[in-house]
Amino acid sequence: MAEDLVLDTAIRDWVLIPLSVVMVLIGILRYFVSKLMLSSQVPDPKIVKEGQVIVRARNLRAAANFIPPKSFRSRRVYFSNEENGLLFVPKGQAQNAQAQMFSDPNMAMDMMKKNLSMIIPQTLTFAWVNFFFSGFVAAKIPFPLTQRFRSMLQNGIDLSTVDVSYVSSRSWYFLNLFGLRGLFSLILGEENATDDTQRMMQMSGFGFDPSKSLGAEKDGLDILQHEWALPKFEHRAEAVLKKLIR
Amino acid sequence: MAGHSDSSSSEKKSTEAMNDVPIFSAENMQNNMKVIYYSRTFMSIIGGVIAGILGFTGFMGFVFYFLVMAITSIGLIAKAKFLVHSYFDSWNRIILDGFMGGLMSFVLFWTFAYDIVHIF
Repeated sequence: MAEDLVLDTAIRDWVLIPLSVVMVLIGILRYFVSKLMLSSQVPDPKIVKEGQVIVRARNLRAAANFIPPKSFRSRRVYFSNEENGLLFVPKGQAQNAQAQMFSDPNMAMDMMKKNLSMIIPQTLTFAWVNFFFSGFVAAKIPFPLTQRFRSMLQNGIDLSTVDVSYVSSRSWYFLNLFGLRGLFSLILGEENATDDTQRMMQMSGFGFDPSKSLGAEKDGLDILQHEWALPKFEHRAEAVLKKLIR
Repeated sequence: MAGHSDSSSSEKKSTEAMNDVPIFSAENMQNNMKVIYYSRTFMSIIGGVIAGILGFTGFMGFVFYFLVMAITSIGLIAKAKFLVHSYFDSWNRIILDGFMGGLMSFVLFWTFAYDIVHIF
């Protein structure tokens, strides 16, 4: 496979570098635009209250071993009591919260805006790459791939004998898309909107937040075994102090 | 709980050494995770450029990537003064975290440098 194609320097100047530069700039632009478009929505007090209850229950679960058994039990009853426990949500009401969240116009607008701001630049850039930079070999990837990747990586090039390592600019676009995520996290700080997989996980977890997680917290609290970890802390404190004095 | 922080890096102690049951300060843990992530990303970018300039192809390049990741891990462990358990909750974090994300950046910059230096 030793035919090392020599590619035109103009390709490097006018395809590889501009494409990368454009993608970096679009990423930065999208970051700032999403910051500007962050509409301040008035949070619903009921949802905030439920969120705080969940945080309290979670703290109790995490630190349960540091309080004496009796106080842990009394706290647990307070949370998961059948009649007026904070975490107990009757079935009919649970459905309601979720439906309300999706029909709330503000929230729907926000989610749509975030989705659009992610999808539109990617689509536009992809169309631009396809229109201008198709039909020639753009780069050579330094590692060999099997023949099955040929149709994916070389779709502008119609020669079937060219090595699969020589790829078209579309695959350079995809390579940039995935590889620049790390670069963005370095130059933009952690809170940037370019990581789609993270965003999608957040999206899917958002709609069911209050109703299901209350039930989950309640179950978690119920099955927690309490084991008091500080039964002899007086003795241990005494030992530590003695060591210090000596 | 312990907010003791190194002066030069930003790794923070996240557990008290004295308790029998270890407790973790979530905020410090997260900060330590971020430090690992940034270090790995940066090193994978630099490693990609180096691999491209030196002309590694195929398998050698991936071996080089593992080498760079191992050097990063060793550097991080040395920075934590070998007391891994007081900064992170398990060995796997400091060794394996951020591996895959760094791989994509490495491949991108490797391809870029390789093409610029060797093909064009």
